[in-house]
Amino acid sequence: MEIEVTGAKILLELPFGITITETQVNMWIVMAAIAGVCIWLTHDLKVRPTSKRQIIAEFLVKTAEKFVTGNMGLKWKWFVPYVAALFSLAMFSSLISLLGMFAPTGDLNTTLGWAIMTFVLITFYKIKTNGVFGYAKSLTEPIFVMTPMNILGEFATPISMAFRMFGNIASGSVVSALIYAALAAANNALFGWLPGILGEMGEKLPILQLGLPAILSLYFDVFSGVLQAFIFCMLTMLYIASAAETDS
Amino acid sequence: MVTMAGTLDFLSINVWHILMAIGNLLILVLILKKFLFKPVQNIIRQREEEVEKVYSDADKALSDANAEKELYKKKLDDAKAEADSLIKTASDRAKAESSEIISGAKAEAERKLRVADEDIELAKKKAADEMRDSISEMVISLAEKVVEKEIDPSAHASLIDEAIDSLGE
Repeated sequence: MEIEVTGAKILLELPFGITITETQVNMWIVMAAIAGVCIWLTHDLKVRPTSKRQIIAEFLVKTAEKFVTGNMGLKWKWFVPYVAALFSLAMFSSLISLLGMFAPTGDLNTTLGWAIMTFVLITFYKIKTNGVFGYAKSLTEPIFVMTPMNILGEFATPISMAFRMFGNIASGSVVSALIYAALAAANNALFGWLPGILGEMGEKLPILQLGLPAILSLYFDVFSGVLQAFIFCMLTMLYIASAAETDS
Repeated sequence: MVTMAGTLDFLSINVWHILMAIGNLLILVLILKKFLFKPVQNIIRQREEEVEKVYSDADKALSDANAEKELYKKKLDDAKAEADSLIKTASDRAKAESSEIISGAKAEAERKLRVADEDIELAKKKAADEMRDSISEMVISLAEKVVEKEIDPSAHASLIDEAIDSLGE
């Protein structure tokens, strides 16, 4: 028995080497779902709320604002939609694997893209706060010899962030696939020896595959997905806030 | 049409996919801003404005009530002062009138007294004159009787008067 571990399926090939894979399509599905939920939550808002929808919508907004301003300070209120988008997109892109679909966060390109955004923002705020020379000078500290290490350190941040999320989600699906395959093999071994048609049916009915993968997906998909989205947002906020601090 | 063209490697880097991930994230930022944050923040701001309006209305009503209270107090004070002045003028006038009446009565009484005194004086004088006349007549008749001859009163008047005057003294 062979188990193949691959990335996203390529669904469409466009000119200039652009390909559309499951990653993109599933992310669009997630985005459409989020947009739909938002529109549904916020239609017919009233100054004096009468619907549960509105209370949920206000709770989400307030929670996001508290989450960001609590970690970064009140002057970062404009940053709330970015963090909210990052968190919801990361979380639901991981949770979509519960539906048996490919998780976009299990694709390194996705997490690397988001980490590059964080890196760009960090560097932008470091330069904005300290000036180009201040930023360049901070790379040569404490001694000049450290400069290559410092530059490496700058790039290590987004790369570690990207691989942290990618590794957790992708390894979750790999482990799930392995366990599923192992259970299928065990199923075959258990029921395959039965004579005649019973054996054929036993091999085809996934009896052993029923319970365990569901429980494991609770950890690998739900817990890990939510946690990684949270960690990614936390790191983004903390790195950017500390980059914008004048004292750095 | 969906064309199945194989799969990506488990670990692959594709610049287009990286850019699309970033683009998707930024698009979702706009979606969330437009469909979640803007409407909810608008409604929260409207609510805050409404609450602010209720508070300011209440403050305004309170200050209006206080101003009106002041006004009524002032009016009441004015009315009180007016009543006081009315009473004062009335009593002053009454006092003035009464004193006028009294002084009038006094003057009248004095006048009457004076008139009475004059009457008395007049009567006294009249009585004295009458007495003197009758006495002089009496004296003349007495003297006539004494001298048995008529005395011409006019011829002796001065003499008689002199005698009476000396009697009277």
